[in-house]
Amino acid sequence: MDHKIYILIVEDELEVLDALVKDLEKFESFFPLETANDTTEAEEVIDYVLDHGHEVGLILCDHVLPGKNGVDLLIELQDNPKTAVSKKVLVTGQAGHEDTIMAINKADLDHYIAKPWTEEELETVVRDQLTDYVIENKGNLLYFMQILDAEKISSAMRNNKMTDH
Amino acid sequence: MENSAGISWLNDTEAILRFIKRLIDELPELQDRIEVLEEGDLLFSQGEPLEYMYLILEGNIQLTRTQPDGSEDVLITLGAGSFAGLIAFTTGEPTLTSGRITQKGLMLKMRPQQFEQYLNDHPRLKHPLQQLMLNNMIQRYKSNLRLQTKTHALSKELNKERNELKEAYQQLEATHQMLVHQEKMATLGELVAGFAHEVNNPASALMRAAENLIEIYAEFEDSHYSYQLFRLGLHSAPVNSSTQRQRMHLIEKKYPWIYDRSSVRKLAQMPDEALDLIDKNRKKGELETLINHFEAGKMIHNIRIASRRIANLVKSLKSYSRQDQNKEELADIRDGIQDTILVLSNRLKFIDVTLDLDDIPKTCANIGDLNQVWTNIIVNACDALDDQGELKISTKQREQTIEVKISDSGPGIPADILPKIFEPNFTTKNQGAEFGLGLGLAISHEIIGQAGGSIVARNRESGGAEFTIILPIRDDC
Repeated sequence: MDHKIYILIVEDELEVLDALVKDLEKFESFFPLETANDTTEAEEVIDYVLDHGHEVGLILCDHVLPGKNGVDLLIELQDNPKTAVSKKVLVTGQAGHEDTIMAINKADLDHYIAKPWTEEELETVVRDQLTDYVIENKGNLLYFMQILDAEKISSAMRNNKMTDH
Repeated sequence: MENSAGISWLNDTEAILRFIKRLIDELPELQDRIEVLEEGDLLFSQGEPLEYMYLILEGNIQLTRTQPDGSEDVLITLGAGSFAGLIAFTTGEPTLTSGRITQKGLMLKMRPQQFEQYLNDHPRLKHPLQQLMLNNMIQRYKSNLRLQTKTHALSKELNKERNELKEAYQQLEATHQMLVHQEKMATLGELVAGFAHEVNNPASALMRAAENLIEIYAEFEDSHYSYQLFRLGLHSAPVNSSTQRQRMHLIEKKYPWIYDRSSVRKLAQMPDEALDLIDKNRKKGELETLINHFEAGKMIHNIRIASRRIANLVKSLKSYSRQDQNKEELADIRDGIQDTILVLSNRLKFIDVTLDLDDIPKTCANIGDLNQVWTNIIVNACDALDDQGELKISTKQREQTIEVKISDSGPGIPADILPKIFEPNFTTKNQGAEFGLGLGLAISHEIIGQAGGSIVARNRESGGAEFTIILPIRDDC
């Protein structure tokens, strides 16, 4: 499949980024991973992905980053129609109460993962978010059944059929 | 106040009185108006309308006024030659004071309505009485002036006392907050000591586990490609995302037959030496297995780095809070500055910190307290810099003192608040979650003062704020 749905991970600490990537490798055959160390790089990567005709399905973002912080980035991406549909998850141990509230209200944050995360937790959140993303944005859901939440996808397919008729 | 002898009269008062007395002797109708004063008699009461006006010929009358709270104030003692009831007589209003006789004597009692007539009937009396009244008025005007001066002085005094009280209250408040702060720091110290112990255990377990894993791998022969790949992974450093993207393109070109993106990424993280090893040994094992040897080394490398970071943080947290030694000791204050920087490394993550720490002699200091000062100033700088910019810390010996300068590249301190920043409760931060209760710099000021030093803040011409702390070099602890 030439058209790809990317997962973008924004994290400035390389060891932490490495660990996140390792835990999400299992999705990579369907959803290629991209990484960025700061928000500027994240924006460049997103532009690159979109310019090449792909889409960004999920953005996992740390909060404390050099330059703009993670919440500000997520808010900007929410305001951009091209990335408004992307699922947004904050992965951080450091966002304060106010930042998190702002992320929920203004960036339509889909999930919050506190560090340290467990592989199981991360996997569940990513699978759920990607499932929602493909149900909301994609036609050919059958293709994703083997990697995402099969039950949810098949019920979505039934519903789609019903509305088609 | 006046003495009991009465108001000091104009020089001719006595002469006038003598003259009036002589006249009274000659005029029988006036003799009827003479009344004898008996000590303790109440002549008139405050608030009552006055029937008579009195000219005191001999003796004293004391005027008192009852205050709203019921207390009685002595206003004046009127002696011979004074009029009593003069104001009530002039205005026709109820008397403002009570009059009581304090020294027996004589007085001339006149009905106000008849006063004019006396004067007309006895032209010889007219002039001396007018003169006496004028004297009375002058006297009262003078005493009024004196009172005003006194009131002014009193209110000045009061104002001064009020300011002193205010200052004392502020000092008390500062001391109170300082004590609360010290108490908090002591609690923090205990917490840190307990925390450090608890965290050190799992951190050591992590470190040991990593070392044991390395030993297990070491059972392979040195020359074995698995071990070589592992060792390369162990000593690799993670690369940043953009470098990695470039390397991934290269790997894709070099190994066009690898479609699995995860494998491409892992190969992209390897140094050329590891890629050569993989090329050489690819036939001996699956590509994935070869990659995993390197990955295993890299993971243990990550565990080592992370557990070392935990251990270092705990160490500096312990030494920063100085739980065990809350007293002065001969110490190098640069150690405290280094610990503070490490403890604050999270805040300083994106700040370019320059340390220019000249050799300075050890001095008697409470390093834990001083760390508070560095922390307060550095945290303020981080706020001013919005966590991005430059921070410079320098130490220098200047004769018998140590000079510590901390400067930032922020917007500086606004001129209107610069004189106030060391006052307690002065804060530019919104109250709440932040570190600041507006006490940081006040406490710093107090700590440096106790250490016999000084702290000043200014804005540098090149921009940004600069704090200069001078501490005396001492070895008497």
